[in-house]
Amino acid sequence: MEQVNIMPNAYVPTAGDFEFLSRQDINVDRNFASQGYWKGVAIHFFRNRRAVVGLVIVVLITVLAILGPILSAYGYKEIISVTNDAGKQITAGSISPQLPGLFGSENINPLFADKTFLFGTDTVGRDLWTRTWFGARVSLIIAFVTIIIDMIIGMSYGLISGYYGGMTDNTMQRFVEIANSVPRLVIVSVLAIFLPKGMGLVIVALLLTEWIGMSKIARAEMLKLKEQEYVLASRTLGAGNFRIIFGQILPNTIGPIITQVMFSIPTAIFTEAFLSFVGVGIVLPQCSIGSLIEDGFNNITTLPYQILPPIIVLALLMLGFNFIGDGLREALAPKLEDM
Amino acid sequence: MKKLIAFILAAVMLLALAACGTAPGGDASDNAPADGDAADAAAGGTLGVMLGTNVMSLDTDLATDGDSFEVIADCIDGLMQMDADGAAVPAIAESYDLSDDGCTYTFHLRDAKWSNGDPVTAGDFVFAWQRICKNAGEYAYMMDEIANIKGAAAIIGDGADPSTLAVTAQDDKTLVVELEVPVSFFPSLMYFPTFYPINEAFYTGLEDGTYGTSPETFLSNGAFLLDSYTPGTANLSLTKNPDYWDADRIQLEGINYQVVGSSDNALTAFKNNTLDVVMINGNQVSAAESDAALSSNLKVTGAGYMWYLSFSQTEKNAQGGMLANADLRLAISNAIDRESLVDNYVMDGSLATYTAVPPQFAASASTGEDFSADQDKYSDCVGYDPARAAEYLESAKAALGTDSFTFTMIYGNNEGDEVAKIAQAIKAQVEENLPGVTINLQPMTKAERLDKMQNDNYDIALTRWGPDYADPMTYLGMWITNNSNNYGFWSNAEYDQIIADCTTGAYVTDYDARWAAMYDAESLVMHDAVIAPLYTKANANLIADGVDGIDFHPVALNRVYKDATVG
Amino acid sequence: MTKYIFKRVILAVITLLIIVFVLFVLVRVMPGNPFPSERMSAEQIANKRIELGLDKPVLVQFWDYLTKLLHGDFGKGTSLYNGAPIKTVLSTCVSNSFRIGGLAILIGTAVGLLLGITAALNRGRFLDGFCTVFSIIGVCVPSYVFLIFLQYYFSYRIPFFPYFFDPGRFLFSAVLPSVSLSLFSMSTVARFTRNEMVEVMDSDYVRLAESKGIYGPRLVRRHVLRNALIPIVTVIAPLIVDLLTGALVVEKIYGINGIGKLMVDAISGEGVDYNYVLALGILYSSLYIGIMLVVDVLYGILDPRIRVSAKGDA
Repeated sequence: MEQVNIMPNAYVPTAGDFEFLSRQDINVDRNFASQGYWKGVAIHFFRNRRAVVGLVIVVLITVLAILGPILSAYGYKEIISVTNDAGKQITAGSISPQLPGLFGSENINPLFADKTFLFGTDTVGRDLWTRTWFGARVSLIIAFVTIIIDMIIGMSYGLISGYYGGMTDNTMQRFVEIANSVPRLVIVSVLAIFLPKGMGLVIVALLLTEWIGMSKIARAEMLKLKEQEYVLASRTLGAGNFRIIFGQILPNTIGPIITQVMFSIPTAIFTEAFLSFVGVGIVLPQCSIGSLIEDGFNNITTLPYQILPPIIVLALLMLGFNFIGDGLREALAPKLEDM
Repeated sequence: MKKLIAFILAAVMLLALAACGTAPGGDASDNAPADGDAADAAAGGTLGVMLGTNVMSLDTDLATDGDSFEVIADCIDGLMQMDADGAAVPAIAESYDLSDDGCTYTFHLRDAKWSNGDPVTAGDFVFAWQRICKNAGEYAYMMDEIANIKGAAAIIGDGADPSTLAVTAQDDKTLVVELEVPVSFFPSLMYFPTFYPINEAFYTGLEDGTYGTSPETFLSNGAFLLDSYTPGTANLSLTKNPDYWDADRIQLEGINYQVVGSSDNALTAFKNNTLDVVMINGNQVSAAESDAALSSNLKVTGAGYMWYLSFSQTEKNAQGGMLANADLRLAISNAIDRESLVDNYVMDGSLATYTAVPPQFAASASTGEDFSADQDKYSDCVGYDPARAAEYLESAKAALGTDSFTFTMIYGNNEGDEVAKIAQAIKAQVEENLPGVTINLQPMTKAERLDKMQNDNYDIALTRWGPDYADPMTYLGMWITNNSNNYGFWSNAEYDQIIADCTTGAYVTDYDARWAAMYDAESLVMHDAVIAPLYTKANANLIADGVDGIDFHPVALNRVYKDATVG
Repeated sequence: MTKYIFKRVILAVITLLIIVFVLFVLVRVMPGNPFPSERMSAEQIANKRIELGLDKPVLVQFWDYLTKLLHGDFGKGTSLYNGAPIKTVLSTCVSNSFRIGGLAILIGTAVGLLLGITAALNRGRFLDGFCTVFSIIGVCVPSYVFLIFLQYYFSYRIPFFPYFFDPGRFLFSAVLPSVSLSLFSMSTVARFTRNEMVEVMDSDYVRLAESKGIYGPRLVRRHVLRNALIPIVTVIAPLIVDLLTGALVVEKIYGINGIGKLMVDAISGEGVDYNYVLALGILYSSLYIGIMLVVDVLYGILDPRIRVSAKGDA
């Protein structure tokens, strides 16, 4: 084909007309330096005072959960008892919080008057300070397992179901209905026949149903977002389904997802306590925050101090997690106002 | 920082929750006038009574639990009734004659009426008893194995025609019962609900399966009428039966039963005057004891049933049948401090028990002495003695050739608050006193525990048995070879022979010889540690001021209100 | 849309059948005996099993059960309230639980929405913090602890409400359990509403609306809330099912014969009552499936851009 020169007299540039810039000629904005994404997230997060408070609370409780039982004078399963003059065993059951010299009730058995029980003792005669932190340890593990279940299984399931829609969505949602409809007690007692009891079984039991709430939220978000312009734009530019789901839409659903994760933690902690009913929860004399609350509840009006420590620890943990969650949400998907 | 303020507010709310508990101890005095209100309310004559569980059935054939039996007995009278001491005294039967061979009872019925106006006839008993045998339910064994009524075994076991039961209505007012062998305690069986009558014409007029499911489908002939009830309800009420044959004796206007799920709640409901009679346990008992106003309301009564450890002796359990070794069982039994269990954990006045037959339910008819009054009978082999326990353990270790034992102990965690505490205490005591023995706890529902025990799929079980009738045989009968309650699969020919002699053989006509033989049997069970008895349960009742005359019994009917008064 | 709903209903029936079958098999595998007995001989128990047809192959049993079910017959209990038809027991329990649960949902949703909206509008201020802490306490403290608290103060210290549930005075005696049950949903709804609204209020279209001079309730109602409602509806739906199907401990404390206690009794009383577990399972799953259907339809109404159904169906 013959090339038609439409501008016969125009200058035709040659390679010699161009030269490389030297480094010092590049203008860099030093006032608003660009940073890595995660560095930015971290800066946003730590600039948020509430988030830092949350982090401090969670770290503090975690440290106490690890160190509390170790530093305590009593073991978590140690029944504190003495033998009195008549040769009878007296346990230190149901002693309200006491620190000799500072506080404690007057009508306490003189045999235990010199002992320190910061949170008191339970009805069996064990130190609640030790047991509360031991329980916090168990419940923190459960909380993290729940977060992981929620994030990985629930979120992916919901996002995929919502994104593909039609037959895929229909099948996946019917499966959720089946999984959610069999009473947990039935499933768990059947499972308990085949699996050894203990923490592993608790996690499997939580796995079975805890992800469903999250998947519903993720699906709803997906349904709402998938018709948005930026998704269309992304698809037009040739992004694959996987990239659209997890790269484009996921970051925009982070708000409700974090809220759901935070709220599923106490549910999981109480579920664990409920599971011990069919012999699936943690094995006595171990304890968890949930089982401590249930124990305390049996004597709530006669011995109210027994239910307070686990509830307060749980509330503080939740407060901490929520502050962190809020901070993370703002840091991960910054809006103009937050900057 | 406003968050912080808000948080402090929240903390205050939580503390208020705490205060909600600390208050009651202090406000015992301002409770006093309220107690007066209770008396006023009670003067109307209606008693508010707590039930521990739902009433499962009002049908004598289907009811299996104490609470159902209590309500049935409030409404229906049998041939005999319990007096305050638990002895059998005439009710619907005015009198009875016993044949010389001790095998034929002839009951003469009084003129009593069903609540629809029909007279109570001997035929109503025949109908009800034949029905029990035909349906062959939970308590049918009372007819054949316990009462030894002629023909019952064939109907229950082989499905023979119910009319072959040797219970006949000679006329409307005469009931003749023939037994296979003399049964010394037969009259006292007659107050057990299984032997109560049902109005045949009324029953057959109902749609199938609806008998006893509402006040309309239920007939009384007893002290109270069913006022409101639906299956599964948490509250039911009874009113006085004006046509009761002994109506003058009944002081109460009615009874309101309320199911209460927790001891803590029961205590508050009592202080609140919502209920006049409640049962509490554990820490609520110590709270009531230390409360000046409440301690006078506290009344401890025997509940009858005994908690014990059952050991599986079969090969497939307990590390290849380790617990078949009697020394090992004795070691565990001797390592348990039963006094500490009842003082520190159960705390409701339950009795530490060292005999296979618990105390306080079966007294000898000839001497009046409680069968198990002497708890030191077997002190040579049962009791808290760590040194002796260690000796037993050493000989067990030598015999079995191993130094470490790991057993799983199962228990039901819906069988009362104290069960989990007891289980943990036993674990701690055994592991401390018997080095090398580890006990792992395995909680489960009662349904699963029973299932595991019936299928012999356990090492050690924390279980209980309540007496069905006031005779030591209700316990001793369990350990004969192949009895369905012999969960340990213990077998001893000598023992089987003694029990056979006592129930159907040589001793049935000789009361004192039978009584003595039962001690021999019990001794075998104890020296072989077939079970490790733990404690005999008591009920700690709170009874409102002014309420009097409720009879408490450890067997058959736990509470009887026929003489109860209020105000 | 009608075609879509019709299709979904057909699917729901099939799903329900699968659930009943799964339950039917699972319940037979569960540990525990349908005829718990410490006094019956092995033959007696075997006879009882034959009476109920438990000796037949599972598929035959399943078919028998289905045919009865289609005639509205749930059968009788085997170990629980034996003798009485399940329908009789269930109807009282369902009516109690539904009414108390329904009241709890009303209170929870209404107050929760109100709290959430207030918090979002006062973002970063005291009310916002209060709402956060309130919802955290609401999910951390079990409803039965709240109930004890309310019962202690409002029927013991101040004897205003009845101490136990009284079916005769339904509304009055339902207040305490309903309020305590509503706290969890109240907290959840409040938290989700607040977070969703904050997100929506940051969006471009709300900014546009604001710049057009739309403020206050009108902005909230027409632009913010409507867009925030979708995740809220998603959260409320399963809460409704949970609340309607009863809460074990609350029922035990307040003496309510409701579904929650019935379920636990059926599974773990003395034995495992096959027929009660099945009846309650069917009740629960029909509720759940029904409510999920309503939610999917609601999505389309709340946000016309959403198409749950395949294209062309809608």
